[in-house]
Amino acid sequence: MSESMNASMSEAVCRSLLVDGSMLTITATRRPRGGRADIKCSAPGAPAIAARMQEVARLARHTEARHDSRDQVVISMDRAPGMQERDWELAVVLADRAVRGLLPLRPDTLALGWSEQWQRGRIDGIDARTAPAGALLGGPQGLRHLGALTGQPDAADAVSSARAWFPLHSGGINDSLCWVEVSVYPLEEGVPDDEAVGAPGLDSARQHAVRQALAGARHFDGEPAPRWRTTVRFGQDDFHGNSFELALVLADRLARGREFVPRGRIIASGCSSAWHAGQVEPVEGLAPKCALIEREAAPGDRVLLPRA
Amino acid sequence: MMFDLFKRMARAPAFDAAGLGTEAIARPIASGCSLPAQTVGVAVDRAGHTRRISAGGRVNLLEGESGWCFHPGPYGCDLLPFAAAPEIGLRLHFAIDSPDPRVSQQRFDLFLASEGAGELGLAGFAARIEDALQRELAQGNLALPPCTTLDEWNAFRAGLNQLLYTRFGVTVDDCVPVDLRGSRDFARELRARALQAATEPYVGVAPEAAVAPAVARASIGTEERFDPGVADARALRRLFLELPCLMCRVRQAALPSGQALFRQQQALLQRLDLVCLAASTMPALALAAPGQPLAFDQQLRRARHSVQATAALDEAWALLARFELAEDQGLEALFDEADRIVANLEHATGERKLVLPQEAA
Repeated sequence: MSESMNASMSEAVCRSLLVDGSMLTITATRRPRGGRADIKCSAPGAPAIAARMQEVARLARHTEARHDSRDQVVISMDRAPGMQERDWELAVVLADRAVRGLLPLRPDTLALGWSEQWQRGRIDGIDARTAPAGALLGGPQGLRHLGALTGQPDAADAVSSARAWFPLHSGGINDSLCWVEVSVYPLEEGVPDDEAVGAPGLDSARQHAVRQALAGARHFDGEPAPRWRTTVRFGQDDFHGNSFELALVLADRLARGREFVPRGRIIASGCSSAWHAGQVEPVEGLAPKCALIEREAAPGDRVLLPRA
Repeated sequence: MMFDLFKRMARAPAFDAAGLGTEAIARPIASGCSLPAQTVGVAVDRAGHTRRISAGGRVNLLEGESGWCFHPGPYGCDLLPFAAAPEIGLRLHFAIDSPDPRVSQQRFDLFLASEGAGELGLAGFAARIEDALQRELAQGNLALPPCTTLDEWNAFRAGLNQLLYTRFGVTVDDCVPVDLRGSRDFARELRARALQAATEPYVGVAPEAAVAPAVARASIGTEERFDPGVADARALRRLFLELPCLMCRVRQAALPSGQALFRQQQALLQRLDLVCLAASTMPALALAAPGQPLAFDQQLRRARHSVQATAALDEAWALLARFELAEDQGLEALFDEADRIVANLEHATGERKLVLPQEAA
């Protein structure tokens, strides 16, 4: 079933920006291998760029669990970037994954980012100073790790950060899934834990709610003594209600390495007045949220909702 | 006088059974030793045929045979299903069950014959089980999602039991989720990683690393040094011994219902047969042609391809476990997976045979 779906989708497009601000389109297609190379790349008039494209795509494939030698992926650029430009690398990796059905990719995705360690799935940074809204940006401020596309923590990083998604419902066209990211870093021993949970950019009421939920959930989890310095970030800040709490708690458990790791994203909606007892209570507007989740969820995503 | 003394020592060697049944699962045993109580002996000849030596007996090995002595258990170990979640694990209790009379060769005996090298410790065996489990979970063949429901857990357990029986020949007694905070502290691990990142000089990827495709395929992060001779010999032994058994099991396990699936199965078996042939006629690692040595980097490339073939072999055993549990409606997806694995085997064995990597288009 899934294979026939993949077979029908044999082309993926991902865009990127050049230094001069012009659009670069990267197209990946898939065909039976027939004894040829696993990845073939081309950039008009720039064989060195094509070689680097192939290197990037091959290195990034190290982080994949499943190896398939039946297909050849052909990746091409519609114009050649300058030799010093590297922001197109992330778009090549995403197109290579999307064409093999490993990653759902919107056709208008615009991605920028380069890395020295694609074999670990990490994205080191971006060179562009400005980027259009909605672009997928790599680097320390944005996407640090390919696994973060589905919320998984980087298994070799010193800061463990995980994401979970929750539905935002306003009864209109702006309904969407919003992510919450929890990053944990070990506390120095003997330091008091006053500001151990930080949520930059949130108003004080929501900061308080975040701290309450995390403290309660960690108490239920049997956390013996404060061990973590925690940072919480939201994909967007202007929302109401407390249905983000279940997603927050699950992202926190994932970041602390205490939850089974899903293959896709965690999508959760739920709140509680007693996280310290491990109770989850239903939230308002569950029916439209369910419809939203059904529309947005990709195969492999894990949906968690309170029993209504 | 001296010669007599040595002869006598050789005639009655002592077998050290310390730790067998707790820290060690199996240990090589010399001919002439008597088996300790509760242990079972296995004799393996050069072609990989095995025979069991009943408990409490004396090990009499024929010419060319090597002997093993294993304790059926039970054993217990902690597994980590996800590398990214070090504080939640599975506590597994398993045993090597009494032999199944319906098969001519027990799977555990085949495991000893093809993968046994020196003593088989419990920790090393648990690491192999963990590898197999992590790969199946990462590929989505077994599912252990957050907030697992009872039905999902039962399906996972059924898959895990079958996987371990098909791949290693061990029977799972019990398996429960367990909190590993007592034994491994994630905070301390993160602190160690931060220290390592601060002290280790940053090493970028050399630009020529990806030009050679074999290097790009190599597994990154293996700690011990990769010795192409040893790794290649081990991998080829596994292919040579396990592929015929695997084919035999595929023939027995999957009985496709329709004509189309039957044809697919026949085609797969024929291709597997050719892979078998390729494995048993593999050229020597260090020779480009009779009498002509091969450059070392090409030996590395060849060895990596044979290791890659064993990875596909592991996937094939896992797939066989899924075949044995499968219902009729899921068979097509499994046949597609089999097609992928056989293609990977063909590709890896083909590349292993080449003297120089092809300039592929």
